[in-house]
Parts: sequence; C-alpha cells; structure tokens
Amino acid sequence: MIITKKALPRRTVLRGIGATLALPLLDGMVPALSAIRQTPARGMRRFGVLYVPNGMAMQHWTPTGDGTAFDLSPILQPMAPFRDRTLVLTGLNPGPGGGAHAGASTKFLTGVAGRRTDGAEIESGPSIDQLLARELGRYTQLSSLELALDGRDFAGTCDAGFSCAYTNTISWRTDTTPLPMENDPRVVFERLFGDSDSTDPAVRRARLAEDRSILDSVTEKVAELERGIGPDDRRKVDQYLDAVRDVERRIQRAEEQSTRDLPLLQQPAGVPSTFEAHMRLMFDLQLLAYQTDLTRVVSFMVGREISGRTYNEIGIPDAHHPLSHHLDDPAKIWTMSKINTFHVSLFAEFVDKMRSTEDGDGSLLDHSLLLYGAGMSNSNAHAPVNLPVMLVGGAAGGLDGGRHLTYPEDTPMANLLLAIMDKLGVPLEQIGDSTGTLDVLSV
Amino acid sequence: MTRGLCVLLMTCAGIVGLASPEPAARGLAQGAAQPPTTSPPVSARVTAHRGVLDRYCVTCHNERLRTAGLALDAMDVARVDGGAEVWEQVVRKLRAGAMPPPGRPRPDADTAAGLISYLETQLDRAAAAGPMPGRTEAFHRLNRAEYQNAVRDLLAVDVDVSGLLPADDADAHGFDNMADVLTVSPALLDRYLSAARKISRVAVGIAPTAATIETYRIPLLLYQDDRLSEDLPFGSRGGIAIRHRFPVDGDYSIKLRLQRTYTDYIRGLGTPQHLDVRVDGRLVRRFTVGGGAPPDAKAVPASFAGNTPLFGDPEWEVYVLEADNDLEVTFPARAGHRVVGVSFERKLWQPEGVLQPRQTGFPLAINERWDGNAAVSSVEIGGPLTVDGPGDTASRRTVFACHPNRGADEVRCARDTLARLARRAYRRPVTDHDVDVLLRFYEERRRTEGFEAGIQLALQRMLVDPEFIFRVERDPVDIAPGAAYPVSDLALASRLSFFLWSSIPDDELLDLAIRGELADAAVQERQVRRMLADPRASALVDNFVGQWLLTRNVATVTPDPIAFPTFDENLRAAFRRESELFVASIIGDDRSVVDLVDADYTYVNERLARHYGITGVYGNRFRRVTLRDRRRGGVLGHGSLLTVTSYPNRTSPVLRGKWVLENLLGTPPPAPPPDVPPLPERGRGGEPVSGRALLEQHRENPVCAGCHAPMDPLGFALENFDAIGGWRTSDARAPIDASGALPTGAQFEGPSGLRRLLVADPEPLVRTVTEKLLAYALGRGLEYYDYPTVRRITRNAAATDYRWSSIVLGIIESLPFQMRSTGS
Repeated sequence: MIITKKALPRRTVLRGIGATLALPLLDGMVPALSAIRQTPARGMRRFGVLYVPNGMAMQHWTPTGDGTAFDLSPILQPMAPFRDRTLVLTGLNPGPGGGAHAGASTKFLTGVAGRRTDGAEIESGPSIDQLLARELGRYTQLSSLELALDGRDFAGTCDAGFSCAYTNTISWRTDTTPLPMENDPRVVFERLFGDSDSTDPAVRRARLAEDRSILDSVTEKVAELERGIGPDDRRKVDQYLDAVRDVERRIQRAEEQSTRDLPLLQQPAGVPSTFEAHMRLMFDLQLLAYQTDLTRVVSFMVGREISGRTYNEIGIPDAHHPLSHHLDDPAKIWTMSKINTFHVSLFAEFVDKMRSTEDGDGSLLDHSLLLYGAGMSNSNAHAPVNLPVMLVGGAAGGLDGGRHLTYPEDTPMANLLLAIMDKLGVPLEQIGDSTGTLDVLSV
Repeated sequence: MTRGLCVLLMTCAGIVGLASPEPAARGLAQGAAQPPTTSPPVSARVTAHRGVLDRYCVTCHNERLRTAGLALDAMDVARVDGGAEVWEQVVRKLRAGAMPPPGRPRPDADTAAGLISYLETQLDRAAAAGPMPGRTEAFHRLNRAEYQNAVRDLLAVDVDVSGLLPADDADAHGFDNMADVLTVSPALLDRYLSAARKISRVAVGIAPTAATIETYRIPLLLYQDDRLSEDLPFGSRGGIAIRHRFPVDGDYSIKLRLQRTYTDYIRGLGTPQHLDVRVDGRLVRRFTVGGGAPPDAKAVPASFAGNTPLFGDPEWEVYVLEADNDLEVTFPARAGHRVVGVSFERKLWQPEGVLQPRQTGFPLAINERWDGNAAVSSVEIGGPLTVDGPGDTASRRTVFACHPNRGADEVRCARDTLARLARRAYRRPVTDHDVDVLLRFYEERRRTEGFEAGIQLALQRMLVDPEFIFRVERDPVDIAPGAAYPVSDLALASRLSFFLWSSIPDDELLDLAIRGELADAAVQERQVRRMLADPRASALVDNFVGQWLLTRNVATVTPDPIAFPTFDENLRAAFRRESELFVASIIGDDRSVVDLVDADYTYVNERLARHYGITGVYGNRFRRVTLRDRRRGGVLGHGSLLTVTSYPNRTSPVLRGKWVLENLLGTPPPAPPPDVPPLPERGRGGEPVSGRALLEQHRENPVCAGCHAPMDPLGFALENFDAIGGWRTSDARAPIDASGALPTGAQFEGPSGLRRLLVADPEPLVRTVTEKLLAYALGRGLEYYDYPTVRRITRNAAATDYRWSSIVLGIIESLPFQMRSTGS
C-alpha cells in the first residue's frame, strides 16, 4: 500500500488488504495534479495504439456506407456512443513481406517488413510511437510505455523463419531495437512510480540520485570496454548506452518534477486471473499514465500474433489462432467475430473513461489520438491488405470523427502513419513504403 | 597454439577414420574417406554423382528456373569446397528424404546414400582444410535464468527474478540464450537498476523499508485430498509448501484464506478439520475449521445453484462467509529461506453412497462440498512486523567473510570483500581500478549508514556493471580480420559454466582458468564430468530441455475443462516433474541420447500413473517404473509434450508431426504458403469425415503434400494419445487409425512403431540433439560451416552408443567452442 508522505506503521499494512488488484476509480484524483494546468495552450496531445492479433472477421468489421452516413458493423457496435469521435478507415495496405504473422505485427507501426532471420541481426524500422516518443517524451518522465497481455514465458518458435522478437512487439525504438512489452501490471506500476514503495518526495529523490550516480559510473566503464571493439560488435554496446542515456534523462526529469504530489494508490500485486480484469487494469494504468503526464505515448498489444488464447468467458473454447483459420466457413467467421467484438467492447470502456476524464479545457479523449487495429485483415489467408483500423479521439482539435473513409487500392498503411505523426505535431517526410501523408479529411 | 593444432589434427583424423569408426554400412559407400591420390575411382564416382544430380535434381534446380534459388547445374560436384553453403543445404534435404518432392522420380536408397556420403566427406574435408569456428557475440547479455543463477552463486541468495526482470525473447530455434535476440532497452536497464537494489539489500540483510505481503495462491483445480509435497508431513493432505525468504530476524504473520464457491461460501465446512501451519517442520499453530455452524441455523438448500434470493439463516450465512477471518498467526522467524508448510490433517474415511463424477464448470463453481474437504486458497506471509536484526543467513556469511572493528580494519575488509566478489561477478582477475570504482560507492554510503550499508551500495553498483550483465569476448589485437583464434582460458571458463550450469564459473573453474591450466584437454574433461555431476547441472534440464521439449509451456496450457474434466493442476505438475526427472536420469546416469526416445521406463506418481493407466502406484512421491506395455516410453509418451503440442480441445497431428520433424529429425518444415485454400469439411459423397481423413486431403493436393506428406504421418502415429496425453482408441468420430507412411516408403503403426522407426537409424536423432545442444552451448544459431562439426561429434559418439557425456564432451572439444573468428 502506498501512502503519500510516510510509510504506515507495519501492523496496519496487513489488516484486510492482502493483495488486491484493482486500482480505485480515478475520478477525484485530478485536483492533486497541478502539472496538467501547465500545458501549452495549444492542447497537449496523447497517442495510444491498441493492436489486436490474428486479423479480423472483415465481413463483420467493414461498415456499410461511406462518409458520414455509415452503419456501424457488429464488431464496431460498442463504439456507438463515440461515433462522433471515430474514424473507420478501409483500404490501407501494409505491403508484402516479413512473414505472415511476424510481418503483421512488425509492419503495423513501422511500415517496414522485418528481416528474415532466426535471430542474428534482427532488423526492421523505427515505429511511429517511438518516433513520437522522441519528441513528446522530452516533456515527460517516461518517453513511452509498452503494454501487453501475453507474457513471453513460453518456449518454442514463433513465425517460421522469423525470430520471436518480431511477434513479441509492435514498438521498435530503432531499426534494430525491438522494445519489450510489459504484461505484469505490478511492473508497469513500478515503472511509472518507481520501486521506492513510497510516494514521499524525499525518499524518491534519494533513490533517483542513487541511480544517477550508478549510471554515471557505469557509463565510464562502458567507455573503457568500448576501446578496441570493432564495428561489428558496436551494436549491443550502442543499445546499452542508448538505454543508459534514456534512463538518465528520465531520472533528470523525475528529479525536476519530484515535488509533485502523487495520488493515493494501491500497487497491483501481479497479473490478474481473468483476461477482462487484466485488460481493464492495463487500461487503468494507461489512463493514469496519461493523467499524471508520466508519458504521452502508450502502445498496447492485446495479444501476440499467433495467439492461441481461448475466450471461455464469452463461450468460445477454441484457441484463437486455429479459429482464425476459418476456411471461409461463415459460422466460424461469426464465432471469431465475437472475439473481435469482445476486444472492441473493452476498448470502448477505456474510451469512455478517457471521455469522462477532465484534461485542461476538455477531456482526455479530446486531446488524444488512439489507433486501433490489426496487422492483417482476412486471418485465414494472412491477408496483408485492407487493414481493419480506426482512429478514435479528438487529437486536440485535429481530428473530425463520425466517418467511414475508403481509400483506393494500393494506398500504403504507412501513409496513415505519416498522417498520425502530422496530427500530433511531429511531421515526417517518409516512413517505410509511404507515398505521402494520408488525407483523413479533418482539420 | 597447441589446442588449435590438436583440434585440426583431430578433425583430420576424424575424416580419415582413425578416431571415428563408421556405423554399420547401410549402403554407405565403403572407404568414403579416400586420400585424393588414387584418381580413377574418385572421378568415376564423381561422374556417377553428377549423373544422379542431373537426372533427379536439375530438372527444377537449374540456372533458368532457379527453383528455391538453387541452380545445381552450375555447381561443380567435384569441387565441393567452392559451394559449401549450398551443398550443406542439399545434404539436409536429401537426408530428410524431402527432395525430390513426393510424386517425382527418386533415386534408390543406395544411390542416395552414396551421394550423401560423398558430399559429406568432401564437406568435412573442406572444413578441415579451412576451419571456420564462427563468431559469437562480443557482448552476450545474460538472460533472466542466467542472471538469477549468477546472483544465487555469487551471493548465496535465492531471489525470484521473474518478478524483477522481463522474460527474454526466444529466437527461431526456441532458445532464449541466443545472443542476437538478447537486446538491451531502457525499460530493461531500469529493471536492472531496480533489481540490483533489491537483491543487494536482501543479500546484505538490510531490513525492508516497510512490511510487505507475499501472496501465494493455490489454483482452484489443485485437488487437496492427498499429501501434496515431500515437505509436508505424512498424514497430511492439501495445502502448500512454500520456500519463503524471511529478510531479517523478526516477527512475521501468516494469514490463510480458504477456497470458496463463486458466491463466496467457504467449501467443506460440514466437519471439523485441523489446519496446520509449520515453519521448517515445526508446528506454529493448529487451527480447526469446519463443523462450527450454529446447530439450529438453516442452511441454504443443497440444490442452491447460486439462485438468489435464496439464503440460509443469517447465523449460518455469517458462519459460512466468515469462517476464515481469524486464520492468522504471528510468530518469530529467523532470517533466511525457510519452508512454510500449510496442510490439513488427513482423515482416512471414504464418502458413502454413489461415487460422483468430478465436477467442472458451473457445478464446480457453486458446489460447497459441505461434507467434503475444505481447501486452502491462498497463504499470505507478511512482515517483518518487528526487526530484531539481520540474522545469520547464507548470503550474509558469503558476503561478510570478515567483520572489521573500525577504522583501517574496515577499509581493508571492504577492499578484500569487494575484490573477492568482483572476481566472481566479472569472471576475471580484478585490478585495483575495479575495486576503487566500487569502493567509491562503499565510502559514500558508509559515511552516513555504516559498514554494511556501504557494502550494499557497492554490490548494487557491481550488479549493474556491464561485465556482470554481459559476457564479453574480445578479439586479440594482433590477429588479422577473419582469422580463427583459440578463445582465452577465462572465456572458456564462462562458456563452460554458462553451458552446463547457466551460471557463472565457480572458484575451482575460475582458478584453473586464471592459472592458465584450463587449456589442457584432460583438465577440461575432468571439469566437464565434475560439472555434469554437480546439482547445478539441473539448469541444463530446466533451460535446454525445458525449451527443446517445450516443457516450459506446460505451465501455461489450458485444456478445455468441458472436453477434459479430469485435467487438474495435480496432473499439470506431474507432467512437468516426469519430464524433468526423466531427462535428469538420462544425463545423470550418462545414458544414450537415443534413450530419450526409446527408454523402457519413466517416472510417475499416483496421479500420473492413474492418468497413464499404470496400476499399483500410490502416493505423491515420484518413482521410477518400468513400462510393461511399450505404448509409452521416451518423450513421445510424456503427457507434457503431448499436451503442449495439442490445442485446448483436440489433438493436432500437424503440430505433433512438426515437433518431431524439428526436434527429433532436424528437418523443420518451411512456412506455410500465403494463400492456403480451404479444405472441404465433408467427403466426396457429402458424408462427415474423421479428423484424420480431413488431413489426408493435405496429401491429395500437391501444393500441400510437399510439406505435409513427411509431417502428418508422424502426428498420426501419436493419435492414440488425446490432447492431454491419455490413451484412447477412438476419437469423437471414429476409431483411431494410427498407421503412417512416409514418402521414403517407411511404414509404421502407433507410437511404438514410430519409435522403432526413429531408432532404427539413430543418426538423425543424435545429430538433431547435437545441433540443438551445440547452438544452445554457443549462444548463436548454427551456420553451414558448423555442420561438419556436428557430423564429427555424432560420428565420435557412436563409439559409446551416443552417451550424453560423449555428446557434451564432443561439443566442448569442438572447433566453434574452443575457437572464434575475428570480426571483418
């Protein structure tokens, strides 16, 4: 249990708390967060990605009708209350290559197919969430947060010929550094609030100073080790140094902001036992991260590609991946679509909370841009065309929702990545196989 | 260097046949390793081989078509060394019988064998002439398991690192100790900083800043009707034995919660039962649960089925909802690892009446089992509530070898301590500069908080040092790029210990390396045998085998409870234990690697024996049994493997066949093509077909047959094992047909037939194990120039019937393990 200002007497800790998992409801925490008022007048933009695996039952995803007069499909029904903030996009292509499943997760935010390798020299391209984090993360303690629901504690191979590093993540810090996605809420909590078991500013400051001095010493050591290292071997050392620099920057930021009061919080004890509870808890942490401005960029993988998760809670005992190979049987496609709808409904709960959270002169949803989608469309054929994607949020006045937009064949998904960068104020010329910034018919 | 020359000589000797007796000829060309001086026989054979290629291969693999990127008409079969990479691929396909593809004309077995033998000999000869040891990563990060073991061996403290560090990515081989995928990210570094702080504080015995609660949960489906652990007393049932670390001497509290229905009623409260809490075997408290319902209070109807608004009397409700409120005890404990045992006293009576089937799903969720057994749902261990001192733990004894009084004594002691620990942590002799760096941190903390706290901060710095987190191998300065050099003794010591123990070298190994004695082959062999006999070699079972046999996945499989109501957590645990004990016996008894597939024994306890249909086994303890019927035997009969290669509600011959191909035969199938057309659900006449018949359609379509023809039959042979490894003779639709036929013509029936096929020619099996083990040992994937090494090791091991130690020693002595190529 974490209390501001000082630790509880030991006996109090044990009374009836045990190891609860849920965070308290988040209304009522905002008054303590003065940092929110310090935002630049333009509106502080947040970015979030939600990735779902194993494609989509496109027959039940694609809305009928175009422009503003479209009907929400069965899978998109849960988004009905937020229709005015939702843009459904049809016809975007991630491009070929990179493996059936490995390509799906790798290309989604990078536009670049991963290099075909069992493990030596994995390579893709930087992902837009990390490109945004480099800019937006200058103002926050954490440049970005990567969340997932699947752990990596399994043996075996992933997509044939492609290292598991490709299917385990959608975020690439550089073209050779895939980022681990954290599935344990307790660890995410610690990443956000540190492991000092206390939100007492003095204790946290001491902790930060300790880490900083250790990192300084370590950097000297690496410089010594680097002498006599050839270009082939630099890659890992550079990764290490990059990590050191990032953590140092975070410490510096944290020290600058260490006088801020943090809300009363219970640390989650671990991974919840049901999928729903897990997903809701991760969303709560994401919301908290936005609210406390600890980060403005969050990417969340609902499941790893080739996920074999079963969804017994909605009556589906079959593993997701084999079910996604439905052989064009309408009954199986309908069953799979229930999984897709389930994911969207949990996402809609999150969107609702974003909408009800005050953020300066609007709501968090008004100032955010959320990308929801899958890296392939027809799962049976691993089709890398016409991805199911939607943009949700106001992007601080930059996005007009309530429309279904269909793009001509061969429009690269990477063009949407450029549009997103543009909306968030970090324009980019080119990424992956992009041919120009996508026009999303908004401001 | 002597060692390099020895390796070369041994390789040459291997080719000429001195050290490697050929296995019994099966059509292999006699005297395959002829010296090149006698020309006529060689060129006649070469012409014959060229003819074979032209006749069976070049139709597709030519310059114009370039099928699979291969143009065999342009390759010179007389000069194999010019295209070793391609020829190695050819050999692999030929050995697998995958090429020519099914349906195309193939050479007869003798001709094919002759070509394979010729190519392999030439490739081995080329490798001997120009040895390429390959290049391991210069900075190879420790993975999570290695980090945990390193901390254990350095500081004598067992910390569960899975809560402190993220899991590592596995590469395509399925191993998570491959240098290339062990990247470093800011998130990871953050965790290293945090882990270093926690671990160093624990090792030194610094009291935690606040009391914490550690919760141990027991899954619902772990049935608590029998004794569950060797650490719990005889005559007990259920509960859990926890190996808990008490950070300091002091008072701690334990709180128990009992298992409930989904409406929160506690189960099994009809009769009084004793619930004991023990610490290191000593009884701390005995609770009585159950039998305390107020006598006249009306209970909820037994057919309650969770339907509100039915309730019992309020007094009854209160009892059944709150009976475990007071299961809490506070007691003093000494610092260190202790076994906390929570268990019921077992009552030896059987329920009367008609035996009920095991319940799953909703009935299980609502059943209060009023007259049945209560069960523990979680144990919370909290503390320290008071701190009496750091205590006398193994880690404190390890860290604090000297206890200084004050002043100069302290600095000298600090210096000695940090030098001693840094030597083990960095795996090399330490310099004054190394110690000075650590001393700076010691001094800073010592000023405000004393000697022990100073040591703690220095340890914290040590655990984040790149030379702890990475295994560093640097090229010597005076060697040309692309040349091969023998790795240093220190590097060799680390390679040995990370291979066999997944941990840092111990003092004995490190001393030998520092003295320069590890280069000697006899010394190495002695060390290897010592290390294999050491308990730390269990890491080989946990890590290599856990990933090769996928036993790590047993923890996360979720068999469908409707299809398999008998699957419970007791069985899950038993699956894991069986495989661990079995492989440990192969390694420990130094048995043949072939026994992995063809053993006539396994390890079972009562739960597993019941699942397998083996009679006469009682109790929770695992014991070795000889298998009378040969259905099971070897890993292909292990519940663990059979379950992880199935889906939650059905078997998959494809997944199982793929596993056999990849992990026993070394011929993994390529990726499926992008546009897999749908298979019709029904047969030609519209009748429903069996699972097997559906898959048979794979083979009618030539596009699919290329991969599925060699793969599916292997899985069909195992169809008698259902999705949780139980034996069956029919599935939902039809009797099981477990016969199979491979494109090579081989036919077999059932698991024993498959086993016989695999061990009739054990070479592919041994080679595959050797390949996997070599990749695991090197921490890099194998390249084409490593295959001659694999062949050599396999050949040499044949003399000892492929004993495990021969394979391991073969790997240790091999070129890529002993030497390294410089960068370009």
